[in-house]
Amino acid sequence: MPSYTYAVKGEKLLSSRGYPCKIKRNVSASPESCGYSLYVYKNGKDALKVLDSYKVPYTRFYWGGG
Amino acid sequence: MLINFDNAATTFPKPPAVKRAAAEAIELFGGNAGRGGHKLAMRTSSALYSARETAADFFGGTPENTVFTLNCTYALNMAIQGIMADGGHLIISGLEHNSAARPAAELARKGRITLSVAPIYPDKERTVKSFRALIRRDTRAVVCTLAGNVTGQIPPWKEFAEICREKGICFIADGAQACGVSDIRLGDGINILCTAGHKGLYGITGTGLLLSDGKFRIKPVIQGGTGSASQSLVQPELLPESLESGTPCIIGAMTVKAGIGFINSTGRENILAHEEKVCSRFIRELSSVPGAVIYRDPAAEYVPIVSFNIEGVQPEALADDIAEKGFCLRAGFHCAALAHAQLGTKSGTIRFAPSFFSREDHAAALANTIKNLLNSGKYQKNY
Repeated sequence: MPSYTYAVKGEKLLSSRGYPCKIKRNVSASPESCGYSLYVYKNGKDALKVLDSYKVPYTRFYWGGG
Repeated sequence: MLINFDNAATTFPKPPAVKRAAAEAIELFGGNAGRGGHKLAMRTSSALYSARETAADFFGGTPENTVFTLNCTYALNMAIQGIMADGGHLIISGLEHNSAARPAAELARKGRITLSVAPIYPDKERTVKSFRALIRRDTRAVVCTLAGNVTGQIPPWKEFAEICREKGICFIADGAQACGVSDIRLGDGINILCTAGHKGLYGITGTGLLLSDGKFRIKPVIQGGTGSASQSLVQPELLPESLESGTPCIIGAMTVKAGIGFINSTGRENILAHEEKVCSRFIRELSSVPGAVIYRDPAAEYVPIVSFNIEGVQPEALADDIAEKGFCLRAGFHCAALAHAQLGTKSGTIRFAPSFFSREDHAAALANTIKNLLNSGKYQKNY
């Protein structure tokens, strides 16, 4: 996520719509370096659509299934 | 005993909830918000976000466009310099505090912008007409206070904002004296709202807010660490972090949150009604003092602030003598050169500014103290 603020915005948006998720500090050496990721544990593709529809920016999306 | 009628500078005392919030923040939120992933940092980050949410809800904004600043002056500087970074024509109202007037004048002095000052008359129609005449093709922004800090006069800012909306001009509002007593919403045509946290919002000193509706990009005037994209030497573009370089005042933000909670639970209308009652009592009592000049015009509207003078008496001298009796009032020019020039006050005024914690009987006692000081004959000798 581009900032902690948008990570929380995304988390609140998704949690309230039944998408379990959690904010974590970036652990891998990502191009963005320091920052926060939003881990979505279920229905990731649908969750992405929710973020898009509310214009919540994200820098990248890793697909892990589900 | 100290009786504070200088609440336009900063409200004191603070509500008990604000004191508790400061203590709680020191106890619990000792991490650095938006920096690090450990429990202390995450807890602090979450707390700061909750303060953003509260402020955003209160002013009809969004948390991601709510920026915590050091005070209203910083917010106004960020807004004015950030919006006018590429030049253009700027209009400021004739009631502006130096926090808006000085950065605007500095940009104009350097030749980076052109600047016009819109006079604010008691008559609304005349004011709006003269404002409209100042707008040019290259007018990029308008800065207008929502209530002047000298007399509390409310300019026709909604009309100004509507004209700005029609013409695609950025409307920057200084809410330092209006927020907490007037109903202020970003949806009322305000594109960028700048305000203090420590005045009508009852937070501690060293707090301010900038809220944007997101329609105009504010170029950051300060660059630095934001907790994100640390390997890039380019300042991030997204609010709020783009304007919050460096560690934010988390304790301050939590007190602003608690202060807004106090306003919500007390009722903004009740706060306004109480302060107006205290002002009315003061005006009534002061009106019977020989030589009293009260700077209010029946045609204009005001927030609960009263500026006054006693003919033939230097305002600073009278304020000094009043202070000896335990009353706190600010005299002089109140960092508002334009407003005083418009009033024609050569030595400034004395400003009476109550808060929700002010008492009517104290306002009456103040007027009585002024009467007694005048009757003592001291000023006839000295002035």
